[in-house]
Amino acid sequence: MKDKPVRKLYILPFVCLIICAVVFGVYAGNRFGEDSIEFFAMDTYCTAKTNGAKAEKVNNSIKELVKKLDADVLSRQNESSLVYSLNENRGGPITEIKDYLEVMNKVCRDSGGAFDYTLGKVSDLWDFGGNPQVPGDDALETVLSSCGADKVIISYGSVSFPEGLSLDFGACGKGIGLDEIRDNILDEGGIKSSVVSLGGSILLYGNRDFTVGIRNPESITGYVATLNLPACCVSTSGNYERYFEENGKRYHHILDPKTGYPVDNGLVSVTVVSDSGILSDILSTACFVLGLDKGMSLASKYGCTAVFIDDNKCITASKALEGKVKINADSYTLRFQ
Amino acid sequence: MKLKLFRKADIIIIAAVIAVSGVFILLNSFDDSSLNAEITVNGKLYETVDLNAVNGKRVIIPDTDPHVVIVAEKGKIRFESAECKDKICVKAGNLTHKGDVAVCLPSGTVISITDSATDAVTY
Repeated sequence: MKDKPVRKLYILPFVCLIICAVVFGVYAGNRFGEDSIEFFAMDTYCTAKTNGAKAEKVNNSIKELVKKLDADVLSRQNESSLVYSLNENRGGPITEIKDYLEVMNKVCRDSGGAFDYTLGKVSDLWDFGGNPQVPGDDALETVLSSCGADKVIISYGSVSFPEGLSLDFGACGKGIGLDEIRDNILDEGGIKSSVVSLGGSILLYGNRDFTVGIRNPESITGYVATLNLPACCVSTSGNYERYFEENGKRYHHILDPKTGYPVDNGLVSVTVVSDSGILSDILSTACFVLGLDKGMSLASKYGCTAVFIDDNKCITASKALEGKVKINADSYTLRFQ
Repeated sequence: MKLKLFRKADIIIIAAVIAVSGVFILLNSFDDSSLNAEITVNGKLYETVDLNAVNGKRVIIPDTDPHVVIVAEKGKIRFESAECKDKICVKAGNLTHKGDVAVCLPSGTVISITDSATDAVTY
């Protein structure tokens, strides 16, 4: 009879403690070991949110990698970068970027030139990042005649191209950054999940589902739809990102390689989902230039899915995304193709 | 003697603890009313503003070059002015929803309204 109060005294608090510990674990488990970082690189705003024991260290490594990749390899402006050197010398060894360049060339061919990484001089004429202006037709025609990925020769780990052509990794640098982060940092372990954004190009890493918003083209802020996705890369090309107005007309930064002028095909943004960062990045540009039907075919050819938004507020998504897209703005309609 | 691990009263207490814990988790999972804007300068948190708690018009001027002026009002926050060239941050207008972000690249200033509904926004 005497042991009853003793049992009550010890068992009840013990059980309650376990319940509280479980609840605390459920509530706070995902918050411990979570670290966020933001920084500026590649002429854009970058963030990384990582969950895991080495989260802070991993985020710092991500920041360092992106800044170094930009400064030492991809920047057209930095005199010590590989791309700057290639443009100055009309070619040279490309060990660090050979694999990427081959992917870029393949997409150039498969897209019929809708994606072209040799338009550096055309971009200079428009100067979207500085003092943007509409270039004269003659100047544009002269510069365009020197451009074209078909003029770039890759051979034995080196590249060569004629004078007047300038490599520009602006439409693929963020994607390359995402691939480098995944392969060189995140795959090393020590984390549970990570979400990296390089100027809106997203890397989702980890064994869980993620929710990604697609920016509202009308208001710059907010999102029109969400995608429920597993680990992958997501990139968007939108005509609302960089633009200027002259004589009442808006000129955006996604240029048609054939004309040198901003693409005007009724699309406002294209989002591409891929396992590869560089593919998601360059296909979003290529698909934007190609338009809905040809763009959707190109994305499909590479095993990617895509979401096209047009100026009639119609969202067209790949059939494979059925059940994964959710509209977040009443004025938009959703269909699958 | 028959040993019983729990008496009826014990089970009631444990059930109460589980119920209270469940309510705690639910409240924290579905707390959708907060609207917090984070202002960061060069990657460092400058200030967190509870937009639901702002009374009148609050002007925030972080020490940046070029200068930016941020205005917070109840339920919204914006770059009021910026001495940079393109003024993309000012064109972004009022941030009013979770997930909204406005960036002034030249000054390294970012305003973002924290959002738990999405992991990221692509643009």
